[in-house]
Amino acid sequence: MMKRESSYKILFLGRLLIGLIFAYSGYTKLVEPVENFQAAIAAYEIIPYVFIPWIARLIPWIEFIFGVFVIVGYLTRISAAMLAAMSWSFVMVIALTWLMTGSIPADCGCFGEGSFVHFPAYQIFILDVISTLIGIRLCLMRSHPLSLDALLGK
Amino acid sequence: MIRLFLNKTNLRYIVTGVLLTSLLVLSVLFIKQRKAHELATQPRALPSVSYYPVPKSMGPDSAPIKIIEYSDFECPSCRFATEVLHQLFATYSGKIQLVYHHYPLTGHPWSAHAHQAAECMHIQGKFWPYHDMLYRNQREWAAMPEAPVPKLMEYAEGCGANMELFLNCMADPAVTSGIYAEKNEGTLRQVNATPTFFMGDKRYVGARELQERGENDIRRVLGLPELSFSAPPEPQVDQTPKPPTAVPGGE
Repeated sequence: MMKRESSYKILFLGRLLIGLIFAYSGYTKLVEPVENFQAAIAAYEIIPYVFIPWIARLIPWIEFIFGVFVIVGYLTRISAAMLAAMSWSFVMVIALTWLMTGSIPADCGCFGEGSFVHFPAYQIFILDVISTLIGIRLCLMRSHPLSLDALLGK
Repeated sequence: MIRLFLNKTNLRYIVTGVLLTSLLVLSVLFIKQRKAHELATQPRALPSVSYYPVPKSMGPDSAPIKIIEYSDFECPSCRFATEVLHQLFATYSGKIQLVYHHYPLTGHPWSAHAHQAAECMHIQGKFWPYHDMLYRNQREWAAMPEAPVPKLMEYAEGCGANMELFLNCMADPAVTSGIYAEKNEGTLRQVNATPTFFMGDKRYVGARELQERGENDIRRVLGLPELSFSAPPEPQVDQTPKPPTAVPGGE
């Protein structure tokens, strides 16, 4: 029982961590001109230029909304699955960029340029792998204490 | 089926979700609008920021296309952008005016020295040759382990500068203040990566954006058909190095 409680406490912290990372990352990009994020995406040379304006407009909203959903625990399993899928796609983009071009951007572009945190792509690669694992684990949990889901009775 | 879906729990879920999402979207839109309002009002309230209030411009005042550039002399992407700009000036001769603004990034150790030197050359009316020389030799001076002042002096001499004036100017803190005032003006316009270009209200971050989206916008203003960038690049573009991406300010 004690072990289960402490393991949930860790997972709850994990839930807050990935929620905060994604919500902050989305927010910093949303309040900045979209062109700044477009330039950050363009640094990953494997992404076709024609998709960049669409990706730059869509990703920050998904990050922000699902990040907040995970923090407050609304549709926690679906939201966690969404964030895990996004984290995994970022892992793939970084890995493929490195494999195909031989280099990765100096700044990952994950947080808006005006943000107070900046990670090089290799650090964000590790963070994204961890986020994917946390997201999958949260998605596999049937119930989430301290969440809107628990309040709303699902 | 609908009645089954809209049971009490599901309804609570849907209402909560709609409220939560609306709250989030409206908050972001409100903040964005407030920022846009600040952006529209603040720069006009600024005094003339330049130490030497003559714009660093190239191209005729009557040009229908006016490009404002915020750039850093030590950033590789900005070096590539100068090649793109030279191409644009050659292709649309007499149709473009470029105004240069200093945006020295704090992550580049010798950038401040280079911008000071360039501003000093501007005062002597030799900004553009010096600008080109700094970018042409960027790999040389930017890689130096110590402040590249002797190199900057050598380039200034090569551009025919009055060295006494140049050296006095290099030590003048008012010139430095002018440079950082220009940078602050850029920051107020939400510039935080170099190079950033403005054509009217449109913003282009990085050489690639200027080359692809920017050139088509220029063509649109001039009434020319748009270029397709999915097609293989033309030979002269092939000869130029691959465009590095914009360098974030990291501040």
